[in-house]
Amino acid sequence: MVARFLADDALTRQAETWARDYRLLAPVREGQAVVYRTWAPDMRPFLGRPPTASAKQALLPQTENLLTYTYRKEPTDLTRTEVFLAEPLPPEPTVVLGARPCDARAGKLLDRVFLERGVKDELYARRRAATLFVTVACESMENTCFCHWTGGGPTSEEGSDVMLFPVSGGYVARAITEAGEKLLAALPEAPAATMEELAGILAHLPEPGPAPDLRQAPERFLKLFDDMDFWTDESARCLSCGVCTYLCPTCSCFNITDEDWGLKGKRVRTWDTCMSALYTLEGSGHNPRSARAQRLRNRVGHKFCYHPREFPGETGGQPEVSCTGCGRCIKSCPVSVDIRRIVRDILEKGEGK
Amino acid sequence: MTGNPYMPQLATIVETFDETPDIKTFRVVLLDPEAMAKFTFLPGQVAQLSAFGSGESTFVINSPPTRMDSLQFTVMRVGELTHRLHTLKAGDPVGLRGPLGNHFDVEGMKGRDIVFIGGGVGMAPLRTLLLYMLDNRADYGDITLIYGGRSPEHLCYKAELAEWTARGDMRVELTVDNPDKDWKGRVGVVPTVLTELGTSAKNAVAVTCGPPIMIRFTIQALEKLGFTDEQIVTTLERRMKCGVGLCGRCNIGDKFVCVDGPVFTQAQLRGLPQEF
Repeated sequence: MVARFLADDALTRQAETWARDYRLLAPVREGQAVVYRTWAPDMRPFLGRPPTASAKQALLPQTENLLTYTYRKEPTDLTRTEVFLAEPLPPEPTVVLGARPCDARAGKLLDRVFLERGVKDELYARRRAATLFVTVACESMENTCFCHWTGGGPTSEEGSDVMLFPVSGGYVARAITEAGEKLLAALPEAPAATMEELAGILAHLPEPGPAPDLRQAPERFLKLFDDMDFWTDESARCLSCGVCTYLCPTCSCFNITDEDWGLKGKRVRTWDTCMSALYTLEGSGHNPRSARAQRLRNRVGHKFCYHPREFPGETGGQPEVSCTGCGRCIKSCPVSVDIRRIVRDILEKGEGK
Repeated sequence: MTGNPYMPQLATIVETFDETPDIKTFRVVLLDPEAMAKFTFLPGQVAQLSAFGSGESTFVINSPPTRMDSLQFTVMRVGELTHRLHTLKAGDPVGLRGPLGNHFDVEGMKGRDIVFIGGGVGMAPLRTLLLYMLDNRADYGDITLIYGGRSPEHLCYKAELAEWTARGDMRVELTVDNPDKDWKGRVGVVPTVLTELGTSAKNAVAVTCGPPIMIRFTIQALEKLGFTDEQIVTTLERRMKCGVGLCGRCNIGDKFVCVDGPVFTQAQLRGLPQEF
């Protein structure tokens, strides 16, 4: 597929064009954060750095309607009620502009849970099929980035429909899928000089540095499972705020609650966090993960032990882990908990166990 | 749309009973008679009961698949949803998603002696299996039920306990911590009764459900009687939402209680990360 050119000053116009046919989620600056917002007139997309929040809301909205219910009182006997249920509306076709390769790759990991684990979640499946990713390749890696640990990289195309490569004056836009090709139909072909510049940039991408071998992580995690001194130490700073899980592109745990408005209402799914003590609190008062150390252990364990055990497979010598190395949990943690350090500690201290 | 795994079937409550001061039993039938006729499950499987506006929660279907005139659930009043359920009466609509989860190995238990050890509302999952076995009585060996509660009024299924005692083809031992003046059964905790009976582990399976502390001491007592980990079966309780292995909260390592459980042998539990 031909490489096209998206000039900086054509970006907003292009976004407007997409927004006519799709629900467009675009990153915009709000204060110091860069967040995805549904397109609105006068919005200026900002692609200058990775968004603060991941793009998972496109596939797994923060709040999503699962069903609506309506009670009707029987006119002849008001103590009797009937209830009627209705399916949620189908999702709108969506384009996510400005995702990063680590975000686009997360879709595969969400698919594992919602499409492949057992019961296929048709609500997710419909949203997944209706969503396109226009991804911006990363020119450099921030010091919290570790996509190369997880089989990804700054220019990984996995999960993207279009890749945008930053060059002078704009982006080289390359379609990865046919749906992506349609998004780019109106753009001019990239000039030869621009393609030469891009080749130079791609030839001199920064070296990401060594990545630890994660193949031993599941076994070593389990060896350390009962070592509460280890987990108490690793979680000593953690506040259980859950920001790591909310910003994570692959954390997919959710809650289901009813929102009641008298005789009608809806059942919604909302993002939940295993970092909260309430997450596992049972009606009896029993809580299998009452301690912070147990909860941090679950988050790290899920990503680097339980997921690879459930979905065995390797890419580039690394097991598939439920993490794309986006580093948001490190960057936004108020107390600087660093999952890379925890994983390295597991690999090191679990070895001799 | 088909395939919305969160969409319950509508059901109607046909009967309710007070079991104890805070436990109520509900019998429900699916609104669609065809769906009710097609509903199949095995003892130990659970379902999500909905009271729309208050949410839904997981309960074992405690009637046996051999008695399909209704589906029975027993609910202890502990939180928002169960308080709402306790206000419902015959004729009221509820939602039902199920059957969910795994079941007791009713085939593997054939020809073996079965020891049921229950405490409080933990009798519910035992009831479905016990009635299934009584309805297929010739398939199973000696059946013993040891059931305990805080006081006589805290025992569930009181009428059935009397029936089972009178049957003659099973042994029933009831025990309470705090007897009243009319109490004729035993006094003391369930594991002690088990030890006193000296139940033989030979060709036997023990099925236990109750509060965590009771289960812990019951398993110790069973081990002293010679029961192996494979011969001890229990059901686990976890907070659940989706019931289909997606929402995440009932995980024990890479297993989900709602899909891989709630029925586990002690041998299976020993193979899991110890976090329950």
